[in-house]
Amino acid sequence: MSLVEIKGHLGIGPTVRGIALAAPDDFSARYDLDRDRGIFSRPSHKLYGEEFVGRILVLNAAKGGVASAWMLREMVEKKKAPLGLLLNDGNPVMAQGAAFAQMPFMDRFDVDITSAIFTGDKIEIVPAQGIVRILSRIKAKD
Amino acid sequence: MGCYGGEPPCLFATSWYEENMKLDDIEKAMLDGKHGKAAAWAIGFQKDVGTFFDAEDFVPIRLVHVSTDRETMGDSGIAFIEELGNLRPSERYPRAYATADFRGFDKENFSFLLPGRNLEVQGTQAVEALGKLGVVTNHAYVNDHSVTAPGFGEACGYSGTPSVIYMNSIVGARCNFEAGPSSLAAFFTGRVPRYGFHLKAKRFATHGFKLNFSPANIVDWGVIGALIGRELNSYWCVPALELTGPPPSVLELNHMALAMASYGSTAMFHVVNVTPEAPDWETAAGGKKLDVKTINFNHVKAFYQEWGGIGDELDVVALSTPQLTVTEIIEVAALLEGKRVHDRTALLIYAPEEIKQACARIGLTQIIERAGARMVHGHDFFATFAKEIRLAHKWDRLMTHSVKMVNICEGYGYRPTPASIQRCIQSAIEGKVIG
Repeated sequence: MSLVEIKGHLGIGPTVRGIALAAPDDFSARYDLDRDRGIFSRPSHKLYGEEFVGRILVLNAAKGGVASAWMLREMVEKKKAPLGLLLNDGNPVMAQGAAFAQMPFMDRFDVDITSAIFTGDKIEIVPAQGIVRILSRIKAKD
Repeated sequence: MGCYGGEPPCLFATSWYEENMKLDDIEKAMLDGKHGKAAAWAIGFQKDVGTFFDAEDFVPIRLVHVSTDRETMGDSGIAFIEELGNLRPSERYPRAYATADFRGFDKENFSFLLPGRNLEVQGTQAVEALGKLGVVTNHAYVNDHSVTAPGFGEACGYSGTPSVIYMNSIVGARCNFEAGPSSLAAFFTGRVPRYGFHLKAKRFATHGFKLNFSPANIVDWGVIGALIGRELNSYWCVPALELTGPPPSVLELNHMALAMASYGSTAMFHVVNVTPEAPDWETAAGGKKLDVKTINFNHVKAFYQEWGGIGDELDVVALSTPQLTVTEIIEVAALLEGKRVHDRTALLIYAPEEIKQACARIGLTQIIERAGARMVHGHDFFATFAKEIRLAHKWDRLMTHSVKMVNICEGYGYRPTPASIQRCIQSAIEGKVIG
């Protein structure tokens, strides 16, 4: 039973459940992350200092260059990867990286996904159906 | 169905989607493994990505560019390429011409920059793995047209963001970001999914901008790219720009393009009356009337002020991204002749190996090195473990003429300051950021 069901475009990867880490900011594996420590390292990023390993990232747009396509797989293999990725606005690099890493990824939702999902929400992503479910909410949004 | 589902990725996962793009007989045969294991992996991967973006079918390509910096590829990328290379040749038959612009490895300078890492050995591993597949590895930069370039309207499978935005906008070729593994997939199938910038309708301008000043140097052009990229912040937006003043050089457009792609994931732009698909506003926008935003010099000034740093002790100046041309190195040498770089500052001048050799033949390299600067060839500063470099040297304040590098190096823990080449060199001589 879910609290809310959100529709997006068909995505990539398997169904997963996990805890969201959300912010109205953009995403690049190269530009924003310390991939060794598993934290957001760009001082100006809204998730600066936050640990991302094993979380479902909920962010606005894919940014920057091609690096994420190789890097997501490297992060999965080194067990320093997010569990999944939801963006309002993806780009080919993220889709290619997610397909290569076999990381669940969706975009193009019928709402602003960074407003609909809060950090700490337990969510389920079903990429094959283009559905995200909010299963539980443990705290109010800041 | 592929091998998704919590396990470590398997190298030859097949297609995720049950129903998706139209495949012709050859593509179906590839998917069925009749053209070898590499093509089977590649077409399945491309089909997933194409379906994700609602591609109806594939478009044939002749040219592929593989982006290969060692940091980006990681150990898993190398392992993947080596596993492809270990297949029998009949299982990994190429169907396009592919080039990878490695730009060589500068043993002396990388030993200084990365004392804890043997980048030469790691880089050679990547060159050998790709070479075994038949990917041509060289020291050139594809935007210099130093390798075979696509023609106007030709579909291609290019990887690096600077190369994709350049080919779409300045050459008029058709390309999406075919990043890393995606360009390898194109190499094995000789095609790419037809979506995005392969479709004429997606190439028209969606947003209009007008410059009401004439940029003074290439870093100003980079700032303009950053401002537009930030404003649009979407791969699918296409800006068109009207200029004041003389038409820009290819180098100036290239700096703007790099920054747009870096700050906004932009893959295509038009400059009215300059780029090939924008002889006028109407053609650029496909007949639509666009609102046009003005960019003035105050916007550019505000961007510079964001990064600050004036008066700070300066640890490193990296002139790279894109690597310097001979004409820029002539400017650098003139600024350094008879001067000395401050002891606390490292001045790094990046150029492709052939350019460095050409500069040595006319005495420029010697002038630069006599001043205490380093001419570095090989991959760009940001693409060679820049965070490790910062930690190894305890560097903090960085200056560069590359607005793209500013964006990336902030994430690696530097405090970057964008500035013209002239200001960068003068700051390196004084050992502090000058205004």
